[in-house]
Amino acid sequence: MPSWFGRTRSAEPAPSRSKLRVGIPRVLNVWSTHQFWVGLFGALGVDPRNLVFSADTSEEQGRQFGKGRGTVDCCYPVKCATGHYGELIFGQREKLDVLFSPMIYTLPSFLSGHVARTLTCPRVMAAPENIKAGFLKEREVFADQGIHYATPFVSLDEPKLVPKQLFEGLREAVPGLTMEETARAVDAAYRALRDFNDRLRKKSREVLEWCAREERACLLVLARPYHMDPGIGHEIEVDLQAYGYPILWAQYFPIDDDLMQWAFGPDLAAGAIRSPFDIRDVWPSSYSSNTNEILWGAKVAARVPWIACVVRMSSYECGMDQPTYTPVQQIVERSGTLFFSFQDLDSTKPAGSVKIRVETITHYLERYAADIVARKKATMPPGCPLLSAGASAAPSETSPRSDCAGKAGARTTPERAR
Amino acid sequence: MKLAGVDVGSTTVKAVLIEDGKTLWQDYQRHNTRQAEKVLEFLGRMETEAGFTLGDRIFFTGSGAGFLAPQAGGKLVQEVVAVAACVERLHPDVRFVSEIGGEDMKTIFLTPSGTGRSKQVFMQSACSGGTGTFIEKTARKLQVPGERLAEMAYAGMSLHKVSSKCGIFAETDANTLVKTGVPVEEIIASLFEAVVYQNLATLTKGNTPLPEVLLLGGPNLFFAGLQQAWRHHLTKLWEQRKIVLPAERDPASLILVPTEALYYACLGCVEIGRDEPAGVGIYQGRERLSWWVETGQHEQKAKEGGRALVTGADDLASFSEQWEAWRARASAPRGATTAPVLVGCDFGSTTAKAVVLSSERELLFSCYALSKGNPIEDAQSLFRQLGEAGFADVAALALTGYGKDLLKDVLGADVAVVETVAHATAALHFVPDADVICDVGGTDVKIMILRQGTVADFRLNSQCSSGNGAFLQGVAERYDVPLEQYAERAFQAKAMPALAMGCGVFLQSDIVNQQRKGWSAEEIMAALAAVLPVNVWIYAGQLQNLRSAGRKFVLQGGTHRNQAVVKAQLDFIRGKVPDADVVLHPYSGEAGAIGAALCAADWRGRGAASRFRGFATITALAYTSTTSAETVCKWCPINCTRTFIDVQLPGAAGREWSKVRLAPGWERVISGNSCPKGLVEDVNEMRQVKAKLEDVKRDYPNVAELVRKDAFRRARAVAV
Repeated sequence: MPSWFGRTRSAEPAPSRSKLRVGIPRVLNVWSTHQFWVGLFGALGVDPRNLVFSADTSEEQGRQFGKGRGTVDCCYPVKCATGHYGELIFGQREKLDVLFSPMIYTLPSFLSGHVARTLTCPRVMAAPENIKAGFLKEREVFADQGIHYATPFVSLDEPKLVPKQLFEGLREAVPGLTMEETARAVDAAYRALRDFNDRLRKKSREVLEWCAREERACLLVLARPYHMDPGIGHEIEVDLQAYGYPILWAQYFPIDDDLMQWAFGPDLAAGAIRSPFDIRDVWPSSYSSNTNEILWGAKVAARVPWIACVVRMSSYECGMDQPTYTPVQQIVERSGTLFFSFQDLDSTKPAGSVKIRVETITHYLERYAADIVARKKATMPPGCPLLSAGASAAPSETSPRSDCAGKAGARTTPERAR
Repeated sequence: MKLAGVDVGSTTVKAVLIEDGKTLWQDYQRHNTRQAEKVLEFLGRMETEAGFTLGDRIFFTGSGAGFLAPQAGGKLVQEVVAVAACVERLHPDVRFVSEIGGEDMKTIFLTPSGTGRSKQVFMQSACSGGTGTFIEKTARKLQVPGERLAEMAYAGMSLHKVSSKCGIFAETDANTLVKTGVPVEEIIASLFEAVVYQNLATLTKGNTPLPEVLLLGGPNLFFAGLQQAWRHHLTKLWEQRKIVLPAERDPASLILVPTEALYYACLGCVEIGRDEPAGVGIYQGRERLSWWVETGQHEQKAKEGGRALVTGADDLASFSEQWEAWRARASAPRGATTAPVLVGCDFGSTTAKAVVLSSERELLFSCYALSKGNPIEDAQSLFRQLGEAGFADVAALALTGYGKDLLKDVLGADVAVVETVAHATAALHFVPDADVICDVGGTDVKIMILRQGTVADFRLNSQCSSGNGAFLQGVAERYDVPLEQYAERAFQAKAMPALAMGCGVFLQSDIVNQQRKGWSAEEIMAALAAVLPVNVWIYAGQLQNLRSAGRKFVLQGGTHRNQAVVKAQLDFIRGKVPDADVVLHPYSGEAGAIGAALCAADWRGRGAASRFRGFATITALAYTSTTSAETVCKWCPINCTRTFIDVQLPGAAGREWSKVRLAPGWERVISGNSCPKGLVEDVNEMRQVKAKLEDVKRDYPNVAELVRKDAFRRARAVAV
């Protein structure tokens, strides 16, 4: 076992399982593995009320809990983790027993098996070690506070390895933990994550079917999972949503077989790719999970007519995103789809420039979206399952409402910022 | 034996002359980038005023000392070592030092160990965030004189969000705050806050600054508000981290700002020099340094220099001819009329502009007002000018620029046009077959790529300052050159240094570096104009392949009024696209306002009557603005600091229910919010707006909202 499996001795004997309080920083790849950890600790008998996620990232959080403990890192999504740690250590009314911050080495991507690897960004993976340093510098904060710091190294894309990795990583934190129990909990964890992902993909499909049925445009966001954090992605897509466009994210795009065979049929027939999830035609070095998903998302956007616009988000100085800017833009624009990017996102929302960009995007969407959808439809492969399924789609509360059919004619314009 | 310590910093030179522990002479002065000249002057004065002679000893420190020290026979002492040596001797109880310079900042942690104290040093000099320049740059923009800045307070002020990491971003933030009516005092206090925050955030690296604390360097010494900000943050930090303080002392008194704060590096030099072997640092006189100032620096830079902005008289003549040809396309405004007209206003970052078009879309009149920071005053100034010119019947009014939303209702504008669209409309009106529009304004760069007469793509960059006019202006101001004379001066340069493309902050360091090599103001200004196109297109615009964008380029925006910039643009574009057709927009600086007026014309074409309030109403507008705890937006954790600008408008309902009560006959304009929610003052209004927003959101779902809502939900415990 490598020594960097960061572990500090707990100052007091651990409480019983149901009393055990576990805190998880809501950062980085936890934004795509959330329900895995919820499922895991639930299955291990941790009371749901005792599983605590830190709040969304905010500058306030950083100032209040992270000041002076910062690390030298230009990656804000990594840097802000200090505030999350601080909040979990110092900001809880009821003290935590365990601070759980996994070093996720590979991710369980839907592209797994179709791409070379599903590795995480090394900087993101190693963040728990990096962030920890700010809390050990002057005094052993974890030990002082009686908090067990657990940072197991996990290869989530290799389910067979995970039980052992988590057992080793948690045995000191969770009293009476056994290997068998861990294995069962890991199964439950994968199920919980899969159920969640499936549910969101289904929702995305409902949106697409509604768009197809109503001849309406939607937007696709291409970003890393943590850009869903309001403190990191700054909810830029919400500003666009407010103008009346549904927002899909590539991570939760529907991957049903009928849709995939339709969208990628011509490429498969031409032999350019081996499966709908193969991205060798655009991105041969497919090692990074999040990067792969962004490239795949660009391909999907190019093929689905109702995605009239792609919005790209990336954080300041992101070395992983840098090489993808041009290919992603080219794939999207070549299909006649609008492409706008918000780069160099950092701790503050550049509200002024975001606003101008949002207004420009919506100006062009208002002018061109219908044309774009029509042009893309004219060249799409026949037999689109989104169109055929449309009529029978069941309305649900969070999907585009069925009564939108009535509004399509007299389109409601959302309240604008004055 | 006399010992001299000379600190050659990024903005000032400081020197002390010591004999037997007594200070014989000391001074500090800004060197205005002429470091060698200033050092030479100081040496001369030390000789005549204090008897400094050959054979005495001299030690140098500071970022500009490396080259100068050997010229006078001096030895170089690393600046942090120098400061630490001085602190060590004078302040045995100090555990933390912050030294803030013009363009750098340092922290030193002193930890007692064994017989002495171990030192841990952090410094950064690559970025302006957290340095003196950070404050001064913005203060200059806000027209706060140095003496007033020194006295301005931090304590008791409402603070606003100002980017702490970059001086250039901060200036833009400050600008936005001004536009929303935030008082200058609060903005300055927010800058002090940002500097302390930046120092603590980047230069403590997990250490806690422990008492006693010593604050050094010009900004820490001169700015009372900065000292207050340090006292506030450090005492709060000590309280939070439960640091045990000496019982009998007021925590604030543990933070010291010595009157000699400027000279610590110099004194440290002397301190270290004293222990150097006898033959080291022997003063050799001024000869070599004089030679360098007179001759040497010119020889060296001639070796390094690149081609100038103009290659000779012919080049300049043919450019001037081209310039005149472009200018000739701008017909003189036709003047006032009482017929119905179209008005477009552009409330930009530095100026507000208005143009008047006839119903046939011909330019009748244009005027501008230098932005004083209050959009309502700017608007009044514009409409006063329009009224005085003799216009009376406004058939349609359109606004663009930062102030467009704020002023739309107050002025009764018919359309608020986003800048990008306004600029593209203006360009296409004059150059219908344009492929690319390059608009360089005061604080942003817009590149719009057109295909088939429509905007197909655009690159908008207001986050990066490197290509914009404000940066150019900032440098010109540093040289005390009026912007109108920029081109004339830059064209005089026979050679120029090669500045590196990139971030404005690095560019600033690069300029300092080139100055050190002896490049003059003209030459640096020429080089800056030459690097601007690279920054505009490649760095800010991220457009590597100009050829793929097209061959007909339109240059517009206020920065293209500068001939030096246009010349550089022309050479750059033709270098990339040899058959390029470059056109300077006939009304380069007014393009935004013209675009707005053209949009007003389109609007009028739809047949509605204008909502324009009329000249008399606008010029007589009375208003007040309030920014206080009561105006802070409470609807989300961001807590935007809003400003309520209350404008007297006949018939307005007022807000008697408000915490900031507003009488009938007044209308409230809320600004400073960053989302539509913030336009709503309180819970009553909120309910309606929220319902509307939620309706929209429900109708048009966002998958990320489902993640935010459900992904971290903790399921009921299930036994395995």
